[in-house]
Amino acid sequence: MDFGFTREEESFRDEVLGFLDGYRDLDGYFHRGADTADGVRRVYRALGDRGWLSLSWPVEFGGGGRSPAYEFILWDEMAYARVARPPMGPGLVAKALMSHGTGEQRDRFLADLRRGRTGFCLGYSEPDAGSDLAAVRTKARRDGDEYVVDGAKCWTSNAHWSDHIWLLCRTGAPDSRSRGLSVLIVPLSTPGVTVSPIPTLDGGRLNEVRFDGARVPAANRVGPENEGWQVVGSALAVERHVQFPPKRLRRDLHDLLDDLEAAGVHRDPVVRRRLQDLAVRVAEVEALALALLGEVISGEPAAVPAAYHKLAGTVLAQDIARTGMELGTARALVKGTDTEFLWRQSILETIGGGTSEVLRGLIARQEFGLRA
Amino acid sequence: MDFDPSPTQRALLDALGTLLSRSAGTDRSRELAERGAYDHVLEAVLRRDGFLDLFASEDAGPLEATLAVELIAAELGAVTPVPHLLVLPALGLEQPAGPVVASLDGPAGPVRYGAEATQLLLADGDRCVVAELDPAAAEPVPSAYGYPLARVVPAWHRELAAGTAGTLVNWWRVGASAEAVGMMRRALDLTVAYTKDRTVFRRSLGSFQALQHRLAELSVLVEGARWLVYEAAFNGAPAEASAVAAAHTMTALGRLTRETHQIMGAIGLTTEHDLHLWTLRLQAQRAELGGGQGPRRAAADARWAAAS
Ligand SMILES: Cc1cc2nc3c(=O)[nH]c(=O)nc-3n(C[C@H](O)[C@H](O)[C@H](O)COP(=O)(O)OP(=O)(O)OC[C@H]3O[C@@H](n4cnc5c(N)ncnc54)[C@H](O)[C@@H]3O)c2cc1C
Repeated sequence: MDFGFTREEESFRDEVLGFLDGYRDLDGYFHRGADTADGVRRVYRALGDRGWLSLSWPVEFGGGGRSPAYEFILWDEMAYARVARPPMGPGLVAKALMSHGTGEQRDRFLADLRRGRTGFCLGYSEPDAGSDLAAVRTKARRDGDEYVVDGAKCWTSNAHWSDHIWLLCRTGAPDSRSRGLSVLIVPLSTPGVTVSPIPTLDGGRLNEVRFDGARVPAANRVGPENEGWQVVGSALAVERHVQFPPKRLRRDLHDLLDDLEAAGVHRDPVVRRRLQDLAVRVAEVEALALALLGEVISGEPAAVPAAYHKLAGTVLAQDIARTGMELGTARALVKGTDTEFLWRQSILETIGGGTSEVLRGLIARQEFGLRA
Repeated sequence: MDFDPSPTQRALLDALGTLLSRSAGTDRSRELAERGAYDHVLEAVLRRDGFLDLFASEDAGPLEATLAVELIAAELGAVTPVPHLLVLPALGLEQPAGPVVASLDGPAGPVRYGAEATQLLLADGDRCVVAELDPAAAEPVPSAYGYPLARVVPAWHRELAAGTAGTLVNWWRVGASAEAVGMMRRALDLTVAYTKDRTVFRRSLGSFQALQHRLAELSVLVEGARWLVYEAAFNGAPAEASAVAAAHTMTALGRLTRETHQIMGAIGLTTEHDLHLWTLRLQAQRAELGGGQGPRRAAADARWAAAS
């Protein structure tokens, strides 16, 4: 056991902090405010130019071949500065292409992904398939060397400023569940694909992505037909250590403290008691994040540690925000304050990226071997 | 003891329900919220049909007025039922037209419908002050929590008799809690209905025991709140009972909000879905009472001051 980061890793953190100084005004982590997408795109390009979108990619694919600890440090500091979240493309998509893609697909996508020049969104969920992803209905019918795609995805984060959608779709019989799914890379500029906004409580948007006879080259299928479930499953595993950076919580707590100080209630013993509890829990989540990182570094699948971390972290984000709302007076309702914004934002966190219930079920099954 | 609504109460709530189904509800609420407006039409209809007079009427009383407040809030009526139906009559004051706002604890923060409010009730020590407001001087404050807010500027004011602050604060606590109870119940009903309709893993969502238990726990919370509120209203809003009702309700609404949103999944996090119409306003109600802490402290003060 060794709990610390290496000296090289810590000096990388310093480099990251230096880099961030140029971007601290951008609230791209939450996409608060107008035009944050452009800003985030700029950040991704700048990261790509430094090779920081491919820190842990194998050298043979043009990556840095470094420990996942570097990615963790990068995205943890990005979260503290609220600048941006890790993009899907160079993370999940690139790593899935490395293990499941064809040589041609790697040639076509990896360079742009590494350089931050192309954006991906994840098209998994549908109106009638969320927790139960095997119920996906969006259909891809083979027609010569193309697929014809019909159906709709929803809750797709960032689709309105992405270039491609990583699409989980049905290529098997309607009731084939997880055995009849495939993954296609679909350019969002394909005729027959439309993206429309779904406004959310945090003032941001998710998207609906509709497919009406959209034609996609069969060469864009990743992995064998009807084996998309395996592709999606292993793709999930490679990004767990950066999915929910714990420094976001440390920052949330600092912002709450500032807010309570501004309200003049931070010395109240009841308030202090609540803050102490939250501070202990932030440390708990940081410990869980490092334990998870350790598993990822040693090449373990890490599904259970990732579930621990996300469960504890996302509910804590809510509890920090809720504390602000409960202790604050009507001032806490004024739009734009960190407290009220974080309340509306954190409520999304226990649903997006794997619901708390799904994670609890996973722990019960995988850690304890319990079955329904 | 009799916990069933009497025939009079039932008839009253039926009539009010019919009125609200025409003059309030989600669509109307969205439309008014868009404009940041108070519902003068609804207030006029409530006045015309006698619902603002329940508190002191012969065949009804404070409990009936409280039941009405609960229903108006559940139906998202964009009026201020707490002062109009409870607090002003309890203080023996006339009910002006338009929103009435309150400040229970020091100078007024942003208040609901403040931009159109003409009267402010202020608790200051054990005095109660009634201040006229100049809507033109009000300063609207943006908020995402359902109610249009504004900071208000009192013009001239008069003081009521000593000891009246308690009446204001206690009835306001009962009233705001009644509103919260109505809204929590609606959010819970909506969620339960959704779990029956929604299919996951080839079963209805509501068939999963993990969710059944959580929904059941929420119902316990809401029922507890409901009876505490009714009892406080029935007994004329005594300090301790009012504070206890508010303390429990304001705590319950945090958990109810979290759980209903969680159980509803992504759809409930969109502004297109109705759930937030209740849950966001619930947070505003708690803030209006000074957060969860204010009533808890008051409950303890009332109890231990009484015991000493
Ligand atoms: C902010 C945000 C971003 C998102 N981004 C994306 C994206 O980019 N791409 C994408 O594909 N999807 C995305 N999603 C969708 C997300 O993955 C789904 O919302 C999630 O999988 C849950 O599905 P659902 O909303 O349909 O809820 P449902 O599956 O209907 O579930 C409703 C509730 O019931 C619970 N539940 C379900 N089954 C059980 C059970 N057996 N036992 C107990 N409880 C159960 C769930 O946990 C949930 O709380 C996003 C969602 C959010 C909120």
